[in-house]
Amino acid sequence: MNKIKIIIRREYLTRVRKKSFLVMTILGPLLITSLWLVPFFLAQTSDSQSRIIVVDETGNKEPKTEPLFKNKLKSNEEAKIEYMEDIAKAQALLREGSCEAVLEIVSANDMPPIKSFWFFGDSEPSLSAQHDVENQLTALFKDHYLKYNCGVTEEDIAFINNPKVNFYSKNILTGKDSYKEIKTGLGAIAGFLIYFFIFIFGSQIIRSVSEEKMSRIVEVLVSSIKPVQLLLGKLIGVALVGLTQFMLWIVLTFAVIMGIQSAAPDLFSAPQKENITLNEQVISVDKVQQIDAAPTSQIIQGLFSINYGLIIVMFLFYFIAGYFLYASLYGAVGSLIDIDTDGQQFTLPITIPMILAIVCLPMVMNNPSGPVAFWLSIIPFTSPIIMMVRIPFGVPIWEVCLSMGLMLLAIWGSIWLAAKIYRTAILLYGKKITYKEIWKWLKYRN
Amino acid sequence: MDILTVNNVTKAYSNHKALDNVSLKVNEGEIFGLLGPNGAGKTTLIRMINQITAPDSGEILLYDHKIKASDITLIGYLPEERGLYKKMKVGEQAIYLAELKGLKPSVAQKKLKAWFEKFDISSWWDKKVEELSKGMQQKVQFITTVLHEPKLLIFDEPFSGFDPINTNLLKEEIIQLQANGATIIFSTHNMESVEEICDSIVLINKAEKILEGQVKDIKQRFKHNEYEVVTPADDYSMESLLPSGCQLIRSEINSELRTSILTIEKGRNAELLSRILTITDIISYRELLPSMNDIFIKTVKNYE
Repeated sequence: MNKIKIIIRREYLTRVRKKSFLVMTILGPLLITSLWLVPFFLAQTSDSQSRIIVVDETGNKEPKTEPLFKNKLKSNEEAKIEYMEDIAKAQALLREGSCEAVLEIVSANDMPPIKSFWFFGDSEPSLSAQHDVENQLTALFKDHYLKYNCGVTEEDIAFINNPKVNFYSKNILTGKDSYKEIKTGLGAIAGFLIYFFIFIFGSQIIRSVSEEKMSRIVEVLVSSIKPVQLLLGKLIGVALVGLTQFMLWIVLTFAVIMGIQSAAPDLFSAPQKENITLNEQVISVDKVQQIDAAPTSQIIQGLFSINYGLIIVMFLFYFIAGYFLYASLYGAVGSLIDIDTDGQQFTLPITIPMILAIVCLPMVMNNPSGPVAFWLSIIPFTSPIIMMVRIPFGVPIWEVCLSMGLMLLAIWGSIWLAAKIYRTAILLYGKKITYKEIWKWLKYRN
Repeated sequence: MDILTVNNVTKAYSNHKALDNVSLKVNEGEIFGLLGPNGAGKTTLIRMINQITAPDSGEILLYDHKIKASDITLIGYLPEERGLYKKMKVGEQAIYLAELKGLKPSVAQKKLKAWFEKFDISSWWDKKVEELSKGMQQKVQFITTVLHEPKLLIFDEPFSGFDPINTNLLKEEIIQLQANGATIIFSTHNMESVEEICDSIVLINKAEKILEGQVKDIKQRFKHNEYEVVTPADDYSMESLLPSGCQLIRSEINSELRTSILTIEKGRNAELLSRILTITDIISYRELLPSMNDIFIKTVKNYE
C-alpha cells in the first residue's frame, strides 16, 4: 500500500510540474470562455447579412392596387430587405453580385393566389434567412386574407397570432416545477465533462504505460512492486491530476468571467436575452406579467429547484468510476504498444461505447426516462455519461443503485482484466499480439 | 549456506517451455554464473527470482523460506535491457527507485551522494536522464541497483554497453560487493568474465540445466590431460623424447622458443620431464585446462 503511494506521488508530481499542465490550466478557462463568447461576437458582426431585393408585383394586375407586401417584410440579422419596382433591374444587380437574392412576388389565379420566385447568384443567402422570408410572407398573406376575405378585425388577428400555449409543469409528487431546459443543460454539461475527462486522461494513461514499456524501465519497476500496484498507482495519480486540473479550471473560469464582467458589463446583455426566450417556455400563463418584470428570477428559481447535493455526489461517483473503468482498459492497451505496433486496433473497441453514449445523448435528453435512456444508463460503459443526463430529472432509486452496483462490478472486472493483460504485455517485446494471444494470458495464473 | 535454492522449477508459455524442471543452489557470498545461449530460459528464471513471474510448478527458496513479496528489498536486479525515465532528473529518479526498494528518501539521498562521489558523477544529479550518454545512464542504473545493499544481486549482462575502462571499474565494484558479503548472480555470454570472477556456474540450454558446478571443478572435468612445454628452440626432436603413452599434438617454434602441446598418460609427467632435461632446459611446463568458452560451446553442441 505504501508503495502505491510512492507511485501515485511520482505520477502526480511529474505531471503537475510539467509545463504543459500549466499551459493547459491557463488555456482551459480561456478556451471555455471564448467558446462562450465567440457566438456572441459572431452575432454582433453584421457582415453575414444578405442583401435581398424584393420586387412585389402583386398590385400590377389590372386594376392596379397597392402591392400586398411592399415595406411589410422586415430585415433581420441575416437578411437585409430592400424593395424595387423593376424585376429586370433587380436581376441585373444580382448578376453583377451586388445583392445575394431577388424575391419576385406575383399574384396568381391558383390557391394560394400568391406565387414567389427566389433568384440567387454565387452566394446564396443562408437557409435560415430564406426560411425567415418565407415565414414572413406566409404570415403576411394569412393576415391579409383574414382581414379582407374573412372580415376579421385587426385586434382579433393580433390575438390569433399571439398566444402560444405554454406548459407549466409540476411534479405531482413533490410539487416542484420541471425546468426541463435547465436540467437538460446541467445533465448534458455533466455528461460531457465526464466524457472529456475520460478521453483526455485515458489517452495520457496509454502514453504513460507505453513509454514505461518502451524505455524498459518497467522491468526494474516490477522487480520492486507488483504490476497491478504499478498500474493502480498510475491510474490514481493521473486521476488526481485530472481532478486538480478541473478544480483549477472551475476556479479560473469563474475568475475570467468575473474579470470580463467587471471590465465590460455589456457583454452579458446578450446571453440574458436568450434567457428570456428560454423562460418563455418555462413560465406559466398566469406568470406572464411577473416574467416581464424579472426575467432572470425564473432561471434562478429553476436553478434552485434542483437537488445539487445529489447531482454533485452522482457526478463525483460517475466521474471517478467512469474514469477507472476506461482508464484501466487504456492502461492495458498501453502495455500492448511496442515500438512498431501502435495500440489503434485495441483502442477502438474501448472507444466505441463512449461514442455510442455521445451519439445517443440527444435522444436521452429528449426522453430521459425512455428505454434508450434506461438501458444506456444501466450498462456500465455508457452509464457515466447517460446517467448524468438523467439524474437532474429524477431517476428511481433502484435504477441508480443498479447502475452504480453494475459500475462497481465492471470496474472490478476491468481492473482484473487489465492487470492480467498488463503484467504479461509490459515485458513482451517484438511480438505481434493478437486477441487470441491475449485470451491465453487471461488464463495464466501468474 | 545456500542463499537461493531453486527446486524443480517448470514454467511453460502458450507455445513453448521456458524452464523444464530446473534445480540449482547458490551459496551465500559467491559469484554465481547463470549461463546459456539466447532463449535458454535465463531471463525467465531471473524474473521468477524477482517475483515478476511465478513458476508453474516447483519452488524458489530464499535462505530457508519460500520467496515472498517482502523479499524484494533483499534483492537488487539489473536487467539486460536497461531503462530509466528519460525526462526525470537523475537524482530524483534514483531516490524514487530506492524508495520502491524500501529506503527512506533521506537515507537514499545520503547513500546516493556517496556513490555519486565515488563514481565522480555528482554533477549529474540535476541533469535529465536523456542528457546523459548511454554509458552514463548505465552507471546510474548500476548505482540504483546496489543502493539498498541487497543480499542478493542479479546482474543480467552487466558489461554490455560499457567501454573497457568502465567494464573494469564495474568488475572491481562487483568483486568489492562480494567482499562486503553480497551474493551475486551473474548472467552473461561473456565467458572471459565468467572465468575471471565466477565461483560456480549453471549452464541452461533449451529450458534444461545441462551443466553445473564450481568453475575449477568443471575445468578439471573437461580437461584432456593436455600439457604445454616450452623449451629452447635447439636442434632436437621433441617426439623422440616422449615416453610411451605420450603424444605430441603440435609443436611450434617462435622467437627461439619451442612450444609443444602434448598429452600425457597419468603418472608419466616425471618421466617426460627428466627425459627432456637430459637434452635441454624447460622454460615452462603447465597443464592446459579448457576455457569456459570451449566448455560452453562443447556442452551446448553435445546437448543438441
